[in-house]
Amino acid sequence: MSTETLLTPSAPDTATWKPRLVAFVCNWCTYTGADLAGTSRTEYPANVRIVRLPCSGRIDPHFIIRAFEQGADGVLVSGCHPGDCHYTAGNYHARRKFMVLHALAEFLGIEPERLQFSWVSAAEGRKWADVVSDVVAGLLRVGPVQPTWGGAGELPVRSLSEPPRPVPEPLDVVGELRATAQRWLSDCRVDVFVGYGQGSLPGRLRPAFITSPDEVDQLVWNEHAVNNLATYLTRGLVKRHGRVGLLVKSCDARAVVGLLQERQIEREQVTLLGVPCIGVEVDGALAPKCHTCDSAWPALVDEVLSAEVPLTPVDGEGLAAEIAWVEKMSPAQRRAWWQAQFDRCLRCYACRAVCPLCYCSQCIADQSRPQWVSKSSDGRGNLAWNLVRAFHLAGRCVGCGECTRVCPSNIRLDLLNAKLAQVVRDEFGYVAGGDPDLPPPLTTYLLEDHEEFIR
Amino acid sequence: MSPTTYLADSAQAVLTAILAAGQRVVAPVEQAGLLAFAHVEQAEQAQLIGQTRASAKELAFPRTQRLFGYRFGNPGVELLPGEEPPAPTVLFGVRPCDAAGLAILDGVFGAEPADAPYLARRARITVVGLSCDQPQAHCACTAVGLSPTATDGSDLLLTPLAEGVLVEVLTARGAALVDLLGEALRPGAADKAEVTARAEAAMAPRALPAGLADGLAAAFGEAAWADAAARCLGCGTCAFVCPTCHCFDVVDESNLRGGQRLRVWDACQFGLFTLHASGHNPRADQAARYRQRALHKFSYYPRAHGRPMCVGCGRCVNACPAGMDIFEVAATAAAGQG
Repeated sequence: MSTETLLTPSAPDTATWKPRLVAFVCNWCTYTGADLAGTSRTEYPANVRIVRLPCSGRIDPHFIIRAFEQGADGVLVSGCHPGDCHYTAGNYHARRKFMVLHALAEFLGIEPERLQFSWVSAAEGRKWADVVSDVVAGLLRVGPVQPTWGGAGELPVRSLSEPPRPVPEPLDVVGELRATAQRWLSDCRVDVFVGYGQGSLPGRLRPAFITSPDEVDQLVWNEHAVNNLATYLTRGLVKRHGRVGLLVKSCDARAVVGLLQERQIEREQVTLLGVPCIGVEVDGALAPKCHTCDSAWPALVDEVLSAEVPLTPVDGEGLAAEIAWVEKMSPAQRRAWWQAQFDRCLRCYACRAVCPLCYCSQCIADQSRPQWVSKSSDGRGNLAWNLVRAFHLAGRCVGCGECTRVCPSNIRLDLLNAKLAQVVRDEFGYVAGGDPDLPPPLTTYLLEDHEEFIR
Repeated sequence: MSPTTYLADSAQAVLTAILAAGQRVVAPVEQAGLLAFAHVEQAEQAQLIGQTRASAKELAFPRTQRLFGYRFGNPGVELLPGEEPPAPTVLFGVRPCDAAGLAILDGVFGAEPADAPYLARRARITVVGLSCDQPQAHCACTAVGLSPTATDGSDLLLTPLAEGVLVEVLTARGAALVDLLGEALRPGAADKAEVTARAEAAMAPRALPAGLADGLAAAFGEAAWADAAARCLGCGTCAFVCPTCHCFDVVDESNLRGGQRLRVWDACQFGLFTLHASGHNPRADQAARYRQRALHKFSYYPRAHGRPMCVGCGRCVNACPAGMDIFEVAATAAAGQG
């Protein structure tokens, strides 16, 4: 018995199996509607266990992950119809959240039958009974969740990236870079300048923190400048040094936009030096993110280094091609494919540590009371962690690819992030890292947001 | 007494013989573009060139291990045992650095009070080491007193030579495995000094300064640790890929049906590692956490055991998201004291 199966019911006997459906419902509409179904003596399957919450806006994706973790075969989420929320807009916010969660679940190969959404008002006892009957019928069709994932047979293997591309010769900006850093430090415009220095291994660069104009010769620039230095902005850098000068590529600058947007830094705390970038190297080839990068020039910067930038047409599909490849698999194959990815997770949290947008002083994965995310590095805990990480970055990830670069187990976190970015772009017309004055998409809503997936 | 030695055609041939003898084998295989230790059924699956991304410690010290479990029954509570250790396994193709890592873990977990879950797993592992003939840029075994052909921790050590592979039998467990292999091995001897010298010459020169243990201890209070650790982002990569890091957390997970107590890997670079229930954290910042890592490896442990708690595999340097290099930091910190 593995560590992940002890807490879940043993493998069901298919002959006697009855689906277990967990319903998270809002207090005001759906719960009252379910109550009406009861007092009206309306018959519907007894497979549903109802958990009542104040509002569908309070139904956190964690609850849903937990329900599956603890052996639910399906989850139903239900709240007030649009316009009827007793807290004005809770269900509008919920709708956006579930739109993203719904897409994520599907991408991971969780059959649509297992995760259903509905609006049921206090007067709709009949609808409640119908929805539950229908969802339970769907669960009967797809059968029990296997206690451990897998069983999808041989998994498709594909060398996932587009054919590796060579890395272009880096632009020669080192002289101007050092001169600018020196000027900023001498003029006391910044107290520390963060750029890249030589690493201890051949061909590697690493973050360098320069505090004196005499040290600027340590600064270098080439195709190995992979780190997203914006991460350091929320890691005590400002507190320790004061005003920060930061070297940013166009992808890094997008992360700074995210931090400004979420009020994690003040614009005047940081002076940005943009470096024109035509691609960095990861694993001996052009980084996948660079295939589809359409700008060598970072936005929002205070000064920018000058260089002749060759025009490189954006002709790759990048991660979109790989997302399409994953989506072509059957749900069972997809689930097994992702499970094989997550099984390798060591829970070192390097993905979290390098992410410029993962700045919480206490991560939900580190909480023990209540423990939302199992600490076990097994199928259960790893799935929960990777789902939570991806979901928390939905609409926020700027696609710098650092999480994927540093993952010691080569987990394709970039595909999860890119899939969610696609959903957010298609559904809300929003691209993260663009405009610091726009609200992040999951903190807002539109009355006309799509809801085809809601019953 | 010099060890008994044999000759074989190749490491692959030895692996084939081990599999033919019906042994369960874990060896490096390519998975998702990286080398990892995994169960193999055919010799061709094993990838015997290069370094695995993670060390070999996981087989003896798994990422997550159940210490015991319980189930609510009617009546009473049913107590469930800890995990059943896996079947006896030959861990094949372990680099000398990784094998030496297991030897260090044996000392740590074998010291009183002995760690039963570790020892139960470890007793079922036969380590077949494989000397290193292609060191990588981050390799540093010679800096910590080992060599690309060191025997520490191996039951058998295979060293590829021009004329075949030299098999050194180092322990009784190794001898027992040899007994199963029949004609794949023929008695014979060869000198591995030349191979050792060639591999060592191919390594980047890395050395630890003399008196490092005392120098680091004296540097404990230095403010320079803050600069040294400035890049460190506080993830657990270094500890989790390390062959000798052995810290763990014990967590309880339970629900209506029952529960289990698990031991899971932990890392000293996590803020949570030393966080007290009161909210106080004695290692409040990354500087203090990084100092702990450097001192544990190169000062506390060597002072107690006479050797660094590092086998020089260099994985932490290679895998660090931020380019931290513990050899460099330790040497700089200790020198700053001098």
